[in-house]
Amino acid sequence: MIPRTLVVTTALLFAVAIGMGIYVAQLRRRADIASPRTLQAEHVRPPAAGPAENVTVWVAHDDDGRLHAQSLTVPLSSERQPRADDLLRALLNIYQSKDSAHRLGAGAEIREVYLVDPGLAVIDLNAAFADGQISGILAEELTLVSIVQTLSNNIPGITRVKFLVDGKERDTLAGHADLSGFYAVSSISTLAKQLSEE
Amino acid sequence: MRWNKAQRLRAGYLVLLGAVAVGQITPQPAVPTPQAPQNATPVPTHAPALLIMIDPAHGGTDSGAALNAAFPEKDVTLVLARRLRRELLIRGIQSQLMRDADLMLSSDQRASQVNALQPFFYLVIHATSQGSGLRLFTAMLPLGEDNRGSFVDWPTAQAASLARSRLVQEQITGSIHSTGFPVRGFTAPLRPLNNVIVPAMAVEVAPTTGDISQLASSDYQQMVCAVLANGIASAMPLLTRAGRGQ
Repeated sequence: MIPRTLVVTTALLFAVAIGMGIYVAQLRRRADIASPRTLQAEHVRPPAAGPAENVTVWVAHDDDGRLHAQSLTVPLSSERQPRADDLLRALLNIYQSKDSAHRLGAGAEIREVYLVDPGLAVIDLNAAFADGQISGILAEELTLVSIVQTLSNNIPGITRVKFLVDGKERDTLAGHADLSGFYAVSSISTLAKQLSEE
Repeated sequence: MRWNKAQRLRAGYLVLLGAVAVGQITPQPAVPTPQAPQNATPVPTHAPALLIMIDPAHGGTDSGAALNAAFPEKDVTLVLARRLRRELLIRGIQSQLMRDADLMLSSDQRASQVNALQPFFYLVIHATSQGSGLRLFTAMLPLGEDNRGSFVDWPTAQAASLARSRLVQEQITGSIHSTGFPVRGFTAPLRPLNNVIVPAMAVEVAPTTGDISQLASSDYQQMVCAVLANGIASAMPLLTRAGRGQ
């Protein structure tokens, strides 16, 4: 026969466990209500007011599977953070033009670029960017290398890059290129050279 | 002091509760140890001499690239892997498929199987509609932790074999290039290449005509696998000379 004390102890522990479960569920519900709504990712910031500069951007071409350096004159801010936004907006404009050599999905945007010292750039893509990316090892790495190379060559001091999608970690861009880790800019530069070679 | 029966039962119950609690809060190991796949082809614990592991990428619910509605990447890679196994056998090279059916395997499961078996070479096959011919990729390692003795950092486990992987890649690229078949070699941030401890490479097969249906053509598949098998055969001395685990 089971001792009464054992039955009482077990019942108490069950009661405590159920009570804790209810409490945690309430906390989670309150946290969900308190959290801010996800903002729609759109470039609402006005174009840079800085002087026009001649910069080199790296543009992916699907027809020959290569990365092409392209000179561009665009107004750029002198501050690092808005300059990064301006640069990547200029690059996206190239990809979203009618005769783009490398197609991105409709609504593809770079939500934000965070420059975190020392040397880290965090690039937050929107879901449409990742979902509309053509799936394939080379197709995906052309996209990533184009962004990293354009950013790191025009903003000194960036040594590492991390990609997010809608503010969250994602395993791959479109099933191939790994987004789980940090990219070393030096490795990307070496790859950019390989991708640019005739 | 002598305990009565009720006290002994209470003590035993407390010890049991304590053990359960300790089990709940024991931290997980820092290095991921993925679970063995449920439906995977059984893999022997020791690799036969000079075994090559061929991995048809994707599978199961992971279809890979939608090359066209009827022919997802996972099916193309499986067909190519089977053909390549046959071509290698003709050249006297033993190989084994990571999956020989439409099975879902995660990157970690694939890497775990390779690391357990330790073949001489690991080759993962992908297919794409973009570009032309073959692209051969070795790992572009992410920034990771240092490897300490026998504890290998999972994201950079390929580090020790990367130089040999690149030698093999160069050899195979050169061999295919000499036949006139379009081929290029790169690094790529691609899993599970990063997590594999043996020499490893990925191949991405694209049509040469720009027509996706070429990937489904048995003639084209045969040609691709033949040039690839010749390339691998030409690289075998590089794989065997250095020996396993160096």
